[in-house]
Amino acid sequence: MAASIAPECNEIKEKYDTCFLKWYSEKYLRGNTTSNDCEALFDKYRSCLTKVLKERGIDSMLEDARKTNGSETDAEFLKKS
Amino acid sequence: MKFFENKFTYDYSFPAVSLAYFLRYPNPYSRHVLTTDVIERRVDPDTQRLHTTRLHLKKSKIPSGILKLLPKGMGGSDNSGQSYILETTVVDPNEGWMKTESRNMEWTGILSVVEKQHYQRHHAEEEARALDGLSIDKNSEQTTVRTTVTFKSRLGQGKLLGRKKTDATPGHADAEEEAPKKGFFSSLSTAGIQRTIELIGVSRTRDAVLKSKEGMNVVLERLRKGGIVGVLEGMRKDRELAFGPDGTWKRVLLNGSGLKDRAIEDDDN
Repeated sequence: MAASIAPECNEIKEKYDTCFLKWYSEKYLRGNTTSNDCEALFDKYRSCLTKVLKERGIDSMLEDARKTNGSETDAEFLKKS
Repeated sequence: MKFFENKFTYDYSFPAVSLAYFLRYPNPYSRHVLTTDVIERRVDPDTQRLHTTRLHLKKSKIPSGILKLLPKGMGGSDNSGQSYILETTVVDPNEGWMKTESRNMEWTGILSVVEKQHYQRHHAEEEARALDGLSIDKNSEQTTVRTTVTFKSRLGQGKLLGRKKTDATPGHADAEEEAPKKGFFSSLSTAGIQRTIELIGVSRTRDAVLKSKEGMNVVLERLRKGGIVGVLEGMRKDRELAFGPDGTWKRVLLNGSGLKDRAIEDDDN
């Protein structure tokens, strides 16, 4: 599995990733889209990751990329296609 | 503004290809990808579509061809050799499609690269029927993917180094912008430099798109042979080959980077 940017989150990420792959291939892709087997693991993984992203200032960069940059380029993309 | 477009067909079903997309790192063609994290993931209750946002950390330097075009020092300090890529995907399992979008989060003033992919289930029913007698039904389901990459350089248009820097030190950024305009941009046409940077982006992308296709094929082949267990086993080997048994982090620390500095600062605090 791909490593996390935060080494301290690797263990919980690996558990979550494994859970997700199982859920995605065995349930979601087979039509059981409402199940949420991995939610508890994802919450744990995310709280670990969020802390590290904040500490390194990546969270604000993420926000910028998702808001400003995203909408602007999407508009341009739609105009062109 | 420049575009790159490519169309390709995988001889694998849509569920396999979409699974391989989420599972594609690490693979033998992805040595430059250091880390991958899931930032957000949810199923839309109305459409049943799965929305995912991931953050990848990749090893990538500004190409030397672009560095040469920049005023001295401008590409230097911040060019840690790593860059953050934001990837969003939407999967619709009923309609059999997946749309992805990846963009660079830094250096967007110099070159903003947005890659979009549209994966679509494709039933090759006609061909399958024709080959029925030969019992070749392995390839009866295929997945097509259309890749579009948009390049845009805003160099010299007032926002040189992107948001992060201007936010931190507004006064300093103004001064930085003034200097290159007089000393550097006056001698060359800004539009010409933008075009050149966009063209370098296009030529590098050809290679990158090809490599990512190869990587997906390796993962798909592992899936076909050994299922998810087979993919995970292959990954473990790739990881050891690329980074040694200690994993990515050791390599990141040893290589020296902005991350390393930050990690050390954190330790001190």
